[in-house]
Amino acid sequence: MTIVPEGVFHWFLTLVTGGFAGLWVIHDLVFLIRLAGADRRDPLVADKWFGYVLGMVMGLIGVLGALRFNGVLAG
Amino acid sequence: MATATARGARSPAGSSTRTPRVVSRWNPANAVTASRFLTLPALWWAIDRGYHQFATLFIMVCALLDKLDGLVAKIFDCRSQFGELFDAITDGICYGFGLILVAAYGWAPLLPVVLVITMGVTNTALRGVYIRRAGRPVNYKSYAMERIVAYTGYLIGFATAGMQVVYFYWAFVPIMLVILVHDGKRMLVDPVPPAEGARA
Repeated sequence: MTIVPEGVFHWFLTLVTGGFAGLWVIHDLVFLIRLAGADRRDPLVADKWFGYVLGMVMGLIGVLGALRFNGVLAG
Repeated sequence: MATATARGARSPAGSSTRTPRVVSRWNPANAVTASRFLTLPALWWAIDRGYHQFATLFIMVCALLDKLDGLVAKIFDCRSQFGELFDAITDGICYGFGLILVAAYGWAPLLPVVLVITMGVTNTALRGVYIRRAGRPVNYKSYAMERIVAYTGYLIGFATAGMQVVYFYWAFVPIMLVILVHDGKRMLVDPVPPAEGARA
């Protein structure tokens, strides 16, 4: 039993994963750039810096996964 | 009626900068959080029947409600420490249950699921230690942890949708390990921020 045709579901997954992950990479990159020059000895700044970097890594994993899903990358 | 102290502007490790106020535990945001449990039987039903799209829909609803409760808390101005703890516990139960389900039905590889759940349990134990160190019910938060929780929701969706399952599950493990080590040090070693209101 399906809700939508498999092809539609495939593109929906691509959009929800790859699209969101790509936007997230940009989102965290912008916030990371805004953080430039802030004192990283401040615990809040250090926490943000670490979170944004890891957020970008997770976003890249999502983009790569979406590309693999569509056969653009091997896997 | 049970009450909790409201939280204001967020800072790391659960501290706050606004004057505390009293908020009932019976508020719209916590109702939205609790409603996430309703998606679990539906998720189980869909996985048991092999309905991949329905299972994906139900875990998406669960994840979207997680985002909605924060919005509702902001709109109704009913943020509280209890609400944040309840939200974190609900995340653990919903996503833990979802991961166990997809692994049990063979929709996700067992080893990374075991590793993820083990790290999740370890993180919960560290939070317990942090609460003991703080001497008050405080929800440890970090920017990295917020992101990995979102990824955890996606993990279940990848399994239900059959989308690059092995790739996404194994990519998750080292990232969560790095965050666990980083946040573990902060919870166990770094100074605990003062109680909310103390700096107001």
